[in-house]
Amino acid sequence: MLYALMGLGLALITGVLNIPNFAHGALFAVGAYLLASTANLIGNFWLALVVAPLGAALLGLAIEYLGIRRLYAAGHDYQLLFTFGLALILSEAIILVWGPVGYSHLPPPVLRGGVDLGFTFYPKYRLFVMVAAGLLVLATWLFLEKTRYGAIMRAGIENKEMVSLLGIDIHKLFTAAFALGAYLAGIAGALTAPIRGLSPGMGVDMLGIAFVVVALGGLGNLLGAIAAGLLIGVAQAIVAAHWTEASSVVIYAVMAAVLLVRPQGLFGIR
Amino acid sequence: MSRALIAILAAIVVLPLVVRPAIASEIWIFAIFGLGLNLLLGYTGLLSFGQSTFFGSAAYVAGWLLKHYAINVFLALGIGVAVGAASAALVGYLCVQRSGLYFIMLTFALNQLFYFIAYQWTSVTGGEDGMPGIPRPDFLGIDFGEPLPYYAFVSALFLLSLWIMKRIVESPLGKILQAIRENEVRAEALGYDTARFKLAAFVIGGAFSGLAGVLYAMLFGIVPLEAIGFVTSGNVVFATLIGGSGSLYGPVIGSFVFIWLSESVSTLWARWPLLLGVAFVIVVLFFRGGVVEAWARFSAWRERKWRSSRQTG
Repeated sequence: MLYALMGLGLALITGVLNIPNFAHGALFAVGAYLLASTANLIGNFWLALVVAPLGAALLGLAIEYLGIRRLYAAGHDYQLLFTFGLALILSEAIILVWGPVGYSHLPPPVLRGGVDLGFTFYPKYRLFVMVAAGLLVLATWLFLEKTRYGAIMRAGIENKEMVSLLGIDIHKLFTAAFALGAYLAGIAGALTAPIRGLSPGMGVDMLGIAFVVVALGGLGNLLGAIAAGLLIGVAQAIVAAHWTEASSVVIYAVMAAVLLVRPQGLFGIR
Repeated sequence: MSRALIAILAAIVVLPLVVRPAIASEIWIFAIFGLGLNLLLGYTGLLSFGQSTFFGSAAYVAGWLLKHYAINVFLALGIGVAVGAASAALVGYLCVQRSGLYFIMLTFALNQLFYFIAYQWTSVTGGEDGMPGIPRPDFLGIDFGEPLPYYAFVSALFLLSLWIMKRIVESPLGKILQAIRENEVRAEALGYDTARFKLAAFVIGGAFSGLAGVLYAMLFGIVPLEAIGFVTSGNVVFATLIGGSGSLYGPVIGSFVFIWLSESVSTLWARWPLLLGVAFVIVVLFFRGGVVEAWARFSAWRERKWRSSRQTG
């Protein structure tokens, strides 16, 4: 489910803005670290869960407004270099602020321990994350499918010129899409922090996975990104249960296998 | 002899007097790596963000053979070139079917695949600690263990690579690749199987990366995990772009600037990737077009200043 969240955010940015966002993983890491810090500072996990992704979204807003906006005409190579540079800056900034060693962050007391599901014993917090991420994906999907703004965003993926000819400020749309994508990355990071702990390298690992999800989902296909995220998550969980060392490789192996059969991705048309 | 060639020959002679031979060697090794990328990026218009896959794979395989079977230097280089080309064929086959953003993301994702294999396969690669103890065997009585003979060896291979790359981009194959860059649909309409040509560019680029990877492993005696990591892929893209991806010599200038700067800064501050990131952002926002364009703008500015001072004076 977390992979679906990451993939959805990235698919939105890729689709609407048409840029390679190599800073997506860094935004994920920022979300995680912000959660840990604010939760420690104010002592309230739930409030921190609200604040941290908003921080990531604000950062996304600033990145788009100050940087990416000037690069739409510049070609993918420079856009890539820019977002890659941002990713380096952010991950180094994390090391400067929080130190190079990873550490763990405990879930709130209510969600510690596990529940007996009859056939297996499952940690409460993981259940919570599954439900929360599922609801977020659903909410985002409803927003994109059922509201006016969502419709404009989807239209932006299909045909940017037409959208701006209809009198819609395309720049505001781009900013909003980037901020929303950053928000989704941030909240995925925030939710992940108590499960996997925090380390400066967490962003890059997630970035690769998000790319896989988008590549599998197909061009501008948001629903495809969700499905691909679920597929990757399940495949990884199954492999991890039997052969732990291969669990990070399997994601990419699944992608390679799918692309051999369907070069356009699972649900892609092009 | 062209002026560019004279400049390069002069640089090869002068460089080891100015910087440590190891850095000087690294510059030309990185230039070979950049030449390979530039065939894709500059001449075919394919932005590959996974070049370290081929660089690292070749370094690991040849390094392993050098370490455990004490193979001949040239055999190691040949194997490196072959491994680079083979891994590029594998990656390229999956990637050339997609274009634009998806192509970039796939090259990166497959780079991650190779990275995680190297990371987990600790019995061979040493995982995070890298693969140390790679020898530099003698050849015909020349001791490559000494820095200067090895530098000469690297320089000679760089010149050879440059010559081969020049022949490639001026050949019919090179012209077709440029046609694909300019207008892929038209190239296809003219009867060229563009996917096959793009794959060919990939394989050639991979072979150059492989050569660079083996030379790198022998230079430092170790294959660090970073050699196959995405930052290495990003660095070579950056170096090629700051040099200017449009020309044959762009990556050479870029590698010169990049290695020199990064080697001098990285010894000062452990967090130097932060500065690297800042450099990326500044270059992209203000100096697109690389060193060559920055110089042109500087000259124009100087000219304007000179004129205005004449008018007022």
